[in-house]
Amino acid sequence: MRMYYVAFTCALGLAVASPGFAQGQRPATPAPEREPLGALARANLAKPRPKPPFDLTGTWFIDQRNSQNTWRFGPTGPFKLTPEAQVHYDAAKKAQAEGKVYRDDIGQCWPAGLPIIMTRVWPIAMVQVPTAIYMISGFMNSLRTVYLDGRPHSDPDVVVPSFNGESIGRWEGDTLVIDTKYFVNDHHWIDSGIPASDQLHIVERIKLINSGNTLEIEYTMADPKGWEGDWKVTKRWNRVEDMDIAEVSCLPDLNQHMPSTQSKENVR
Amino acid sequence: MKALLVGSVCAIVLSIASAALAHHSAAGIDQTRTVTIVGILKEFKWANPHSWMDVDVTDEKGETKVWSVEMTSPTFLARAGWKSNTVKPGDKVTLTVRPLRSGDPGGMFVSITLPDGRVLGQAPAAPRAPSQ
Repeated sequence: MRMYYVAFTCALGLAVASPGFAQGQRPATPAPEREPLGALARANLAKPRPKPPFDLTGTWFIDQRNSQNTWRFGPTGPFKLTPEAQVHYDAAKKAQAEGKVYRDDIGQCWPAGLPIIMTRVWPIAMVQVPTAIYMISGFMNSLRTVYLDGRPHSDPDVVVPSFNGESIGRWEGDTLVIDTKYFVNDHHWIDSGIPASDQLHIVERIKLINSGNTLEIEYTMADPKGWEGDWKVTKRWNRVEDMDIAEVSCLPDLNQHMPSTQSKENVR
Repeated sequence: MKALLVGSVCAIVLSIASAALAHHSAAGIDQTRTVTIVGILKEFKWANPHSWMDVDVTDEKGETKVWSVEMTSPTFLARAGWKSNTVKPGDKVTLTVRPLRSGDPGGMFVSITLPDGRVLGQAPAAPRAPSQ
């Protein structure tokens, strides 16, 4: 009986100490401002900073007027893959030659991840504040945060790898430079048959052109586990004023009614 | 109910529909032709990321199969004149689809002829660009 009492007392103590409980019981006092501040912390937002050269706030849509292959991030010139990446590339080529598709994980509801999430045929809403840019894709509501508050990349032993990676931005003249790393290395592709590894490193150089109506991003991508050297490609997005993003979820029963994702032409 | 299978090539419509559905692969779809099916609508789902229809189609032998027809998102369907109640289960519908290459029943939506004779397609995914 005594043990039960001790356990109950400990549990009560833990509950009282938890932030959730405290929020409802204690007087509203400002939370201590510990570094690093969150991107939306008032003290962080209020820090003096140079005026940014442009504001990406708006809704953007990949420019497909010249090609429907703008979603691709594969090499545009000679390239050399690592042996482990070459296996996937060869399998994808074989599937393509047979009129099939190799490991279309996005069609099976896996997140697209960076960089392909940027070129889905869906609008992307961008909201810029002094400390960050929030990019929400209309495709699966994918959230990408680009930190602009001067923080470094996270400790590699602490960071949680993700499909969109960790993005740190800085201004260089009229250009926004975003450095992204810490990606997941499975079910994540930069093009058909070209996998992304946990060593993928992407640098984006962003300009706002055409009187603010066109977003241009030059991509430089390196992945020592995937290919030799850097791959570069430039893409454009158009500002759209008549669209919003909506809630989009790839639910488990969706593909029961999507013949293309269930057909025998999908090579897993 | 008899299925009418009429092959035709419609390059312009194909390219538009391809853009609308390009976020997952369409490898299993025969991009070179369209077929027309006539059937009774079993279910119509108005949802993201895709709307879809299941249609009971009966062939010349009297065998009925369910055709699942993929569509684009409601955003682009609405721009082509669709509403969530444009069709309802039990409606007799005539659909033009790009069929599965395997020959299994199913395909990608191109257009529909409604019971009242109206024809609806789906708007291309790429919205109009801002003035340059």
